[in-house]
Amino acid sequence: MPDNSDNSKGGPSESGLYNRIAVLRAERGVSRQELADALGVNYQTIGFLERGDYSPSLKLAFGLSEYFGLPVEAIFSTRPLEALSAQVYGRALPPHEEKR
Amino acid sequence: MKAELVLMGKRLDMAPRAARRWLVATIYMVLAAVLVELYLLDHWRTSGYYLIFATFLVNRFLLGGYQFGGLVKPFNERAPVRRVTPVPFVLLFGLRVWEPEPRDSELRNDEREQAQRDHAHFQAYQALIVALAPMWLLAAWAAGSSRLLAWLMARLPMTPMQLIYGLVLATIAMAITLPQSILLWTEPDMEEAEGE
Repeated sequence: MPDNSDNSKGGPSESGLYNRIAVLRAERGVSRQELADALGVNYQTIGFLERGDYSPSLKLAFGLSEYFGLPVEAIFSTRPLEALSAQVYGRALPPHEEKR
Repeated sequence: MKAELVLMGKRLDMAPRAARRWLVATIYMVLAAVLVELYLLDHWRTSGYYLIFATFLVNRFLLGGYQFGGLVKPFNERAPVRRVTPVPFVLLFGLRVWEPEPRDSELRNDEREQAQRDHAHFQAYQALIVALAPMWLLAAWAAGSSRLLAWLMARLPMTPMQLIYGLVLATIAMAITLPQSILLWTEPDMEEAEGE
């Protein structure tokens, strides 16, 4: 079954948190360095966050929320996140995609 | 942590973890070799001081962690000391170590790096406790004229005090370099800053 979630990179390998940072960053065409500069962290830390290898502080999580203009729960979750497209349009995967 | 080291005028890519591990392993092998060489030279009477001085230079140019340079950011969050005048040692000048002016994000540890720094110090502390154990045993045996120490000393070309001093030197060198080495050893391959 194809991965219908936004967690292909933001899995909770160590942090226990799923996130959409990579998807949001790609969607807005922002580089790791630009995001890191805006948040006052090292660009390596953005990579760690995206892979779910690091669990951010509340301050950093709210910083990300402010940067993307989204609520924190739209970026982080303790459960696998649904794909944004599916969430926005309320559509599940087409049957042929689900069968794969 | 910086992804690049400039040594002898050449840029070395330190982004891959393998490169950093190679550097750390080489540093400790060289320090061990120097420790043995210096014992043969003067039984560490004077050269012991030079060994510790050399260890600080290793931090200054390679490992970092203090305010002067190297791969690891300053642990104390302060900007490195910048010399206006050239390095006063001809030998060091010959190394042609070039350090670009660091960005602010290269000086200050963010929250993840602070957590890593603290964890590395915790690991180094544990390793140092292990290193102190043989020193304590040898010192205790030396104080009590132990037969075990006499047996050991019959097989080593040094006095008990020299053996203890050698262990002290090695432990101090470890204490000065271990947290930085742990950070360099454990940090995964570094990604591109502009990566999409």
